[in-house]
Amino acid sequence: MAGRIEIESAPAKFPPVIDAAKRSDVRLVTLSLRRRAKDHLGTVALWLALLAALVPLGATIGVLIVKGASLVNWGFITGDIPSVTGQTVTSCSEITPEFRAKYGLSCVSPSPGMGPAIVGTLLSTGIAALLAIPIGILGAVYLNEIGGRGRIAVVIRFFADVMIGVPSIVMGMFVFTVWVVRFGTEGRSAFAASLALACLMLPIVLRSSEEMLRLVPNELRHANLALGGRRSQGVFGVVLPAALPGLVSASLLAIARAAGETAPVIFTIGVTQSLNASAFGENTTLAQQIFSGAKSGLPLANELAWGAAFTLVALVFGLSLSARVVTARFNRNLKG
Amino acid sequence: MKVVSPNSLTGTRLGRARELAFSAVTLVAGLSILALLAGVVAATVSYAWPAIESQGLGFLTSTTWSSQQETYGALALIYGTVVTSLIALVAAVPVALGVSLFVTEVCSARFRAPIVAIIDLLAAIPSVVFGLVGALVFGEAFQVVFRVFAGPTANGSSLLTAGIILSFMIMPIIASITREVIATVPGQYREAAYALGATRWEVITSAILPVGINGITGAVMLGLGRALGETIAVALVVGSAIQITADVTQPGSTMASIIANRFNGEGIGIERNALMGLGVLLFIITLIVNMAARVIVARTKRGMIPA
Amino acid sequence: MQEIRARHRSQTVRVGLGAVLALLLVVSVACGNSTSPQGKQPTTTSLGNGTTADSNTGEVQSTGFNLADFAGLNANIKGSGSSFQQNYNLATIDLLHTVLPELKITYAGGGSGQGKSDLADGVVDFAGTDSLVKPEDAAKYNGQVLYFPTVVAPITVSYELDGVHELRLDGPALAQIFSAKITSWNDEAIAVLNPQTELPAIPITVCRRADASGTTTNFTKFLDAAGGADWPYGSSDTVDWPSGTQGAQGNGGVAACIAKKSGSIGYVDFSDAKAQGLAGALIQNSAGEYVEASLSGASAAVEGAVIGDDLTFDPINAPGSDAYPITSPTWIIVLDTQRDSTKAEALRALLSFILTDGQDVTFTQSLNYAPLPAELATRALAQIDQIKVG
Repeated sequence: MAGRIEIESAPAKFPPVIDAAKRSDVRLVTLSLRRRAKDHLGTVALWLALLAALVPLGATIGVLIVKGASLVNWGFITGDIPSVTGQTVTSCSEITPEFRAKYGLSCVSPSPGMGPAIVGTLLSTGIAALLAIPIGILGAVYLNEIGGRGRIAVVIRFFADVMIGVPSIVMGMFVFTVWVVRFGTEGRSAFAASLALACLMLPIVLRSSEEMLRLVPNELRHANLALGGRRSQGVFGVVLPAALPGLVSASLLAIARAAGETAPVIFTIGVTQSLNASAFGENTTLAQQIFSGAKSGLPLANELAWGAAFTLVALVFGLSLSARVVTARFNRNLKG
Repeated sequence: MKVVSPNSLTGTRLGRARELAFSAVTLVAGLSILALLAGVVAATVSYAWPAIESQGLGFLTSTTWSSQQETYGALALIYGTVVTSLIALVAAVPVALGVSLFVTEVCSARFRAPIVAIIDLLAAIPSVVFGLVGALVFGEAFQVVFRVFAGPTANGSSLLTAGIILSFMIMPIIASITREVIATVPGQYREAAYALGATRWEVITSAILPVGINGITGAVMLGLGRALGETIAVALVVGSAIQITADVTQPGSTMASIIANRFNGEGIGIERNALMGLGVLLFIITLIVNMAARVIVARTKRGMIPA
Repeated sequence: MQEIRARHRSQTVRVGLGAVLALLLVVSVACGNSTSPQGKQPTTTSLGNGTTADSNTGEVQSTGFNLADFAGLNANIKGSGSSFQQNYNLATIDLLHTVLPELKITYAGGGSGQGKSDLADGVVDFAGTDSLVKPEDAAKYNGQVLYFPTVVAPITVSYELDGVHELRLDGPALAQIFSAKITSWNDEAIAVLNPQTELPAIPITVCRRADASGTTTNFTKFLDAAGGADWPYGSSDTVDWPSGTQGAQGNGGVAACIAKKSGSIGYVDFSDAKAQGLAGALIQNSAGEYVEASLSGASAAVEGAVIGDDLTFDPINAPGSDAYPITSPTWIIVLDTQRDSTKAEALRALLSFILTDGQDVTFTQSLNYAPLPAELATRALAQIDQIKVG
């Protein structure tokens, strides 16, 4: 019968064909108990590691959803941040009616709201992005397109890496002592916070943008030169558009990180309970509200913190997911 | 045909001027990093200097941090920083390593992308959220557990709690870099080991880990760098006591947490300058760790080219 | 949102009423009743600034906060500092915002240390503090610091101990607890003061402040005065607490620390302790009586205190059998020279409110604070004139 090769008729010098389904039988025969045990234990250890990785983090998200999701509604997103004063409805109703009438005290339970913090987060992160991203991308253009391996470029890369390692709280102290107290506009403000955030974002945007530019194939640059274009025309007309998804993704990730920063913000932004849409004057962010709510034991304060945390994580996840979607499309573009 | 450089293709004088402007603008943008860093270093060091000068070497060696005694010694805070970071590493590294190996060796290809995506997404959670969950939920749960093992004085707000919360934060970073490192281990090593009859575990321990050890060390050090600088989550769960104690279930402080606690409040007198000095010290330590990590990781990538 | 609109509507009516009232006030002022704000008057007196003081009941009868004086004021002032007075300040700011909607005031808390520091740095316009500016630091301010007392309240010694409903502590016992010389609840020193109570044999967790706090200064002042040799750490905004004690940020943080674990004890302002539902210990005062933390005990302590010319005073360990010995003063401090006239006006509005309608005893009590004694409030009200633009 042609086409059928049976093991028995195979020449003796070839090793027996091992059928995958029978591999376990082979392993039973060829492996010692100790080696098999170690292998099984090792696999179990890896599964445990997966569990140890996913469970605490899953618990964090779970707690966040359970405690925060129910609080976040349109009123929460647009409403002012209520004062946590410990005053109860009962004690408020014991205030004389004339006083209450004069000051319009309605003695109702305060409803949680985070509108000013959401605006403050967008404001401080937005201004920081406007400061850091253009400078970062232009710097990356220098590093990748012009500087290359030159001495200045090497120095810039090195110091950018150094700057990425500056702890965020040191940046906060820096902006406070230089801008808030000395040379800047009076008092704490969203702008001061955005300065600190921009200082943190700049080296990250610079280095990741450089990586993105490096991924753009050189053929595109050569094509530009071949057509008689200047280097600057090549950068703005060919390279940046080709790298755009990668640059957008890197920027979104930097913005997501900045939105979650707390340490530089608590020294520079002040606080507010009502909306402040200006870059100047005290403001607040979601991260700062979470921080102050976490320190208190009062139910209203904790509620505010959970709601703000849910909102912030939703915002950060949204930005990160958008970055991944953009990156995926970028990879497809490059390959295609 | 004569080879011409790109700039001489510009032709017009306006074109050449545009090129010059382009180079200049981008150079200035790049140099802004240098200017900024120089500014940060100059401002912070000069602000910290009065405190460091008045304390002398005691700034590093003294265990007393007191505004009443006008003595600012960072030793207790360095201790707290080192201890919490070490606890974080001990907890995070095995898990990060295990998860990376799971994803590359054990996991079927179908689940690889989702698990990687989840871990990366979890790296995006802001640290203040971990601090919130730690302060309001985990801290009390941990205290119950600690008191079972360490006696009735164990505290839910302690160095150990801070270390554990830190490990949640640094695990995704270490895992993602380790995964990259393992992915760059040449396939031949793995296949050779399997061909020699090794079990999966033996392949990991004999072929993958030894080859990737440099990169993994680099990843661990980058995680360490992140743990050292972490402020807000630690400040919420570490208990804010300035002491050196071997009992990690007792409250403590790190350099970053004491800055977060005290910086706003101590503008009169020299304590704020001393806190800035702590910040500079923290920056230097983090810098050394990060630089060492990058050198190690870079050396690994070069050494990965198969023979 | 609807609440604010409703308040705006009724506010228009009130502004009209206020204008009429203001007219009456102006008439009464013009007809001139001058009286010295200092010293006790035997009957109610009408003062030139729209209040009458009844020294018998201790209540400031206000003919009203002069809304018309400040109607339409469009200004933005910021403050920070003491968490002791934070609940009162936030409620005050909310009230003012409804009747003067263009006046924006923010109060950031952060502890007395932050308040004093921010005011010296020029980062805020007013600060809350429960402890005084040190004489050697006075030069760091761009002007002279004016102290405006606002309210008084007890500093409670709060604890979380299952089954213990009454706890009596004297100065030495407190000093030993907070200096970690006593580490267990059933220690002899506590048991001897509480013979009727079954004290559990669990360790004591001490909750105290991690940030610079005027409440710490006042509490440690008491430990210094009443604890004698048992308290070696002195009195200051930040104290070298012994190891094993747990730090928290703000009065709210200490309250949260105590609430979280059984066996904990700490010092918390009355308002936050009540809000958190904490039990408070009875503290032995200088007359030997065990007094619970209460607003009447606080008022009794302040009654006997000597008020300085700059309106600072110290009710810690005050004499009197009803006095609660750990009563804290609290001030809003501002600089006497302001650069901006609208801000100066805004500060005047805030302080005028606090020292007139803000002393309404039902209002302060609803937040768990006691109002100032009448003459102190009127003296403080008069001090507002010292805020100048220059």
